[in-house]
Amino acid sequence: MLISLHWINELVTTEGQTPLDETDVAVALTELGLEVEATTRVGGGLEAIVVGEVRAKEAHPNADRLTAVTLFDGAEEIPVVCGATNLPEVGGKVAFAPVGTTLPNGLKIAAREVRGATSRGMICSEVELEIGPDGDGILILNATWSAGERLLDRVPGLQDVVFEIGVTPNRPDALGHVGVARDLGVRWSRTVRKDRLQGVEEWARVPVDAGLVQLEAPAACGRYRGFALESLAVRASPLWMRTRLHRVGLRPINNVVDVTNYVLAEYGQPQHVFDRDHLDGGAVVIRSARSDETMVTLDDSTLTLGASDLVIADASRPQALAGVMGGATSMVTDGSTRGLLEIAWFEPSGVRTSAKRHGLHTDSSHRFERQVDHGALLDAAAARALTLLQTLAGASVVGRCDVRGELPSAVEIRLRHSRLEGLLGVSVPPAEVSRILLGLGVECVVTGAGNTSVYLCVPPSFRPDLSLEVDLIEEVMRHVGLDAVPVDPVASTGAAAGALREPMYARAHALVDAFRELGFHEHIGFAFTGARELELLGGAAAVERAVQVANPLRSQHAFMRQSLLPSLLDAGALNRSRHGRHVALFELGRTYAWSDAPGAGSSVTAEIDRSLPTERLALSAVFVPSKQGPSTGARALVKVGLDALKRIGCTARTRPPEALDPHLHPGVQVALQASDGAGEWQVVGSVGELHPEICRAWDLPDSGRIFCVTLDVHAVPRADRGRHVPLPRFPSTSRDISIELPVHVPVSAAIEAFANVASARGTAAPDQPQISASDASGAEIEALEDYRGDGVPVGRKAMLFRLSYRAEARSVTDDEVQPLHEEIVAATILEFESKGWAPIRR
Amino acid sequence: MSDQLSKQLSEQLQQLTQDLAHSEDADALYELQVRFLGKKGSITTLKRQMGKLAPEDRKAFGQAFNAVKVEAERAIDTRRDALVTAAREADLARHEDLSMPGEGEREVGTLHPITQTRRALEDIFARMGFAVREGPHIEDERYNFDKLNFQPGHPARDMQDTFFVRPRLDARLVLRTHTSPVQVRTMLAHEPPIRVVAPGTVFRKDDDATHSPMFHQLEGLFVDRHVTMADLKATLYRFVGEFFGEGLKVRLRPSYFPFVEPGAEVDMQCPFCRDDATGASKGCGLCKGTTWIEIAGSGMVHPNVFESCGIDPERYTGWAFGLGLDRMAMLKYAVTHLRLFFDGDVRFLEQFPC
Repeated sequence: MLISLHWINELVTTEGQTPLDETDVAVALTELGLEVEATTRVGGGLEAIVVGEVRAKEAHPNADRLTAVTLFDGAEEIPVVCGATNLPEVGGKVAFAPVGTTLPNGLKIAAREVRGATSRGMICSEVELEIGPDGDGILILNATWSAGERLLDRVPGLQDVVFEIGVTPNRPDALGHVGVARDLGVRWSRTVRKDRLQGVEEWARVPVDAGLVQLEAPAACGRYRGFALESLAVRASPLWMRTRLHRVGLRPINNVVDVTNYVLAEYGQPQHVFDRDHLDGGAVVIRSARSDETMVTLDDSTLTLGASDLVIADASRPQALAGVMGGATSMVTDGSTRGLLEIAWFEPSGVRTSAKRHGLHTDSSHRFERQVDHGALLDAAAARALTLLQTLAGASVVGRCDVRGELPSAVEIRLRHSRLEGLLGVSVPPAEVSRILLGLGVECVVTGAGNTSVYLCVPPSFRPDLSLEVDLIEEVMRHVGLDAVPVDPVASTGAAAGALREPMYARAHALVDAFRELGFHEHIGFAFTGARELELLGGAAAVERAVQVANPLRSQHAFMRQSLLPSLLDAGALNRSRHGRHVALFELGRTYAWSDAPGAGSSVTAEIDRSLPTERLALSAVFVPSKQGPSTGARALVKVGLDALKRIGCTARTRPPEALDPHLHPGVQVALQASDGAGEWQVVGSVGELHPEICRAWDLPDSGRIFCVTLDVHAVPRADRGRHVPLPRFPSTSRDISIELPVHVPVSAAIEAFANVASARGTAAPDQPQISASDASGAEIEALEDYRGDGVPVGRKAMLFRLSYRAEARSVTDDEVQPLHEEIVAATILEFESKGWAPIRR
Repeated sequence: MSDQLSKQLSEQLQQLTQDLAHSEDADALYELQVRFLGKKGSITTLKRQMGKLAPEDRKAFGQAFNAVKVEAERAIDTRRDALVTAAREADLARHEDLSMPGEGEREVGTLHPITQTRRALEDIFARMGFAVREGPHIEDERYNFDKLNFQPGHPARDMQDTFFVRPRLDARLVLRTHTSPVQVRTMLAHEPPIRVVAPGTVFRKDDDATHSPMFHQLEGLFVDRHVTMADLKATLYRFVGEFFGEGLKVRLRPSYFPFVEPGAEVDMQCPFCRDDATGASKGCGLCKGTTWIEIAGSGMVHPNVFESCGIDPERYTGWAFGLGLDRMAMLKYAVTHLRLFFDGDVRFLEQFPC
């Protein structure tokens, strides 16, 4: 919203008062919640522009398109060369920039020769003066003005300061200069000039013409005032009005349209004038559109209307989309002589629906959506428009009609002074509270005194945002100023209940730390994904359960992700395209999917939560090797996965996957399991080499060098350390055994078989050996070697295992454990046989 | 006989001395020790021959034997000390150029600057007694808008360009446009006093140089008896002081957010053009010459919000604020392009080791 300081001063400064200062106003606007986003000083240099009279004009001797003009500047006749085609006849008046002038656009005017003719000064266009949009020809001034007069004296608003302010949706009153002036007025104890808010009585004498307006939709239109205008003379508006409209970003059209725009900018009340000669029946009806009715708007687009659209129609067709835009057929043009002025109150959400549906956002709809006034301000705006139409367009008002539908009723609000101070934490004198509220137009009766004061208030109809006590408190706060609020921490009556973090997020927090410590960089990727990524990583099932964004910005963002890998791989590919270094990235984030078992529960939010998709917290890490350097093996990532889980206190191990992870190479992957040390083992994720098809899809090398870890944070057990295990008092001793097995047998399965055999024996007596953690490695059963080659048939491998033993209460020798070792080996080999592994002891 | 034995004694000692001179390590010394002084050692065995001597010679030989034995042991010890000293000197003479790059596979990982910012703020508010709470990213409109006093059909809904989600059941779902639904969930589930911060991902349909369709907010909510705007101001002062630096001024400006009333934007004094001597800011490109930088929206919880969440607005008051973590991180680390946060370029990420 553009606000002219000159206009504001015209509204609040009376004779003898100092105009409000640019800087003060800028500060005040921001402090009042009308944030100044930009301040522009306009019209610099225009003080030098004078009215010039054309004394003579003749064709330039050496150029067809130029004219040699003799211009009188009030003192002397000056030769000026001009290229415009719209030069007035001799005696006409133009805007003249004498030699030495610097125009607002920075152009310095100097005497010069133009193709052999002398030119001392310049005849200016609106664009050159930056007071209007018309650059096609020069600016023609009122012929009655005298040569030599300063343009500034004729058009005082030529030099101005324009503020661009941000008006929040709750402040429709600030969408016009009068409302802004009122707010500023309270700050300086000035009121908006009465003559701008009155003049209503004069127009009340116009005879009523009840046939002018018929209201068929009282719920959608709360008030509609129509005025029949005769003897209009449509032409260009005077310079002061055109300049002012230009200053606040409106385009001058003709005097009738300009008046409606001018009053819109001044009062924030939209109006429209129909050419009454083009209204079938000369009157209007306010009704719902019939389905499939069409209308051509004044910007020449055809709207297909529906029953939810409110229209202003004549006897045969819609002539305006109510509150949004007028129609082409009845718009005021140069030849119009009879008009119908509309000033109305349309129901806000209806205007909003129509404007949205037709993709039209206009100055008018913007205001109706936020709710315009239906009371005194509407009447004042009507009076202002009629006065201007009479003065500028010669209109005579021959009939009026005022129909009413459903309007919001005024509210009474009880404002307690104690509440005001209690909420703001600042003390305000009751007299100041009254002054502020009255200044803002709130009717206000005070009872009680001091802190027990109660203000019985009725807000004005132009402030629909004021409906509760707290709204009035905000008004007082805006004017008292937030700087007055002290810095004063209150003592809470109690601390917040509950842990610092919910347990799962605490675990996630720790996992993030673990991956950081393991040398990975945290990445944050978008939660959106595309159909292609969904299908690549999760197949048709993923598409089936995908959460879809109804209005995505682009198709690659049309779904919510079910895996963190796409954005990590995007980042991997981006890094690879930018540099040759290796990339170790991880992300903690959510994945989203519809699940068949919606979250049950009996919490207060359960009803809502049942309709929501399932969000799961996941962590993925990706390693892309450098372009030159040696590749890390997949087992390095296995260690990362295990170490991360250990670092957050879990016991962790790998196991062959029960179901293959489709995004990993089927032969190079393993499941990660974790346990809290006491409970069951949980599958918490997977580690492996990225599937070559996926590498290819991201244009990453697919020769088995990219690895990833994925964890489901929900599955990671809560680490509960429990009691410590006493340290062994005597040394361990170990025995090795080599067994030939098929290559497909995972070493973890072989070790598990050994462990099962050992644990089946139960706990040994304190002086007897049993399998125990090795002093050297900490492991009970280790796989030392996987040998394939000479002496081992193809498809088989010779595994060397080391088993460690100790007795709890004494040292034992290698020889003493031999019988136990033989027993365990023999039993394990039987176990291997039962699995069909055809073990051969070597 | 006696002379012969004595001669043998001195010969052995001489032999030992010679051998010691050629022994270069602890093992060799041990071997000499055993060879000369062990149970069957060449010196030890000489003592056994004492019985063969005339009784009058035995005493003198005994003394001579002991002297030689002591001498031999001392010679070994001396040699051992010399070897240890020489080895230490040789070891200390080693030199390695440790100005060469370090070795090993271990790298320094990093937390994302937005995570670091989030954690720093969580810590600041945790010390003020706030708990950290999360909520779903996909929300029902009732929690994202309705219960937060965004009236259906009101232009306030346009303040946040919303992504809508295709629902499965009969519901109106959105990608949450702010972290404020966590306020609603917290108030529905808990009686005051409530002190929570809710950090997290939010979404708005906006994508240009200064907006990302996904970004991060941190919401603060304090509900108790007698909570005032002055307390909000004090809390914001403390947060700015701890996160950006002590002594920076904080300014509240009236503004509008449907879920608070009165509502205020929060500006802090621009830290980038602050003069350390005077403490005042002069205005710079980052604050667009205004000396203020906008950091948050805030206000007193709207009574309609309290009522929709089952809290009596006559009994309790409260404040809430919301700030952009991405923006905080940009300000903290002087990052000018939002895009950098989401590209995952390791050369950017590794600049934030802690």
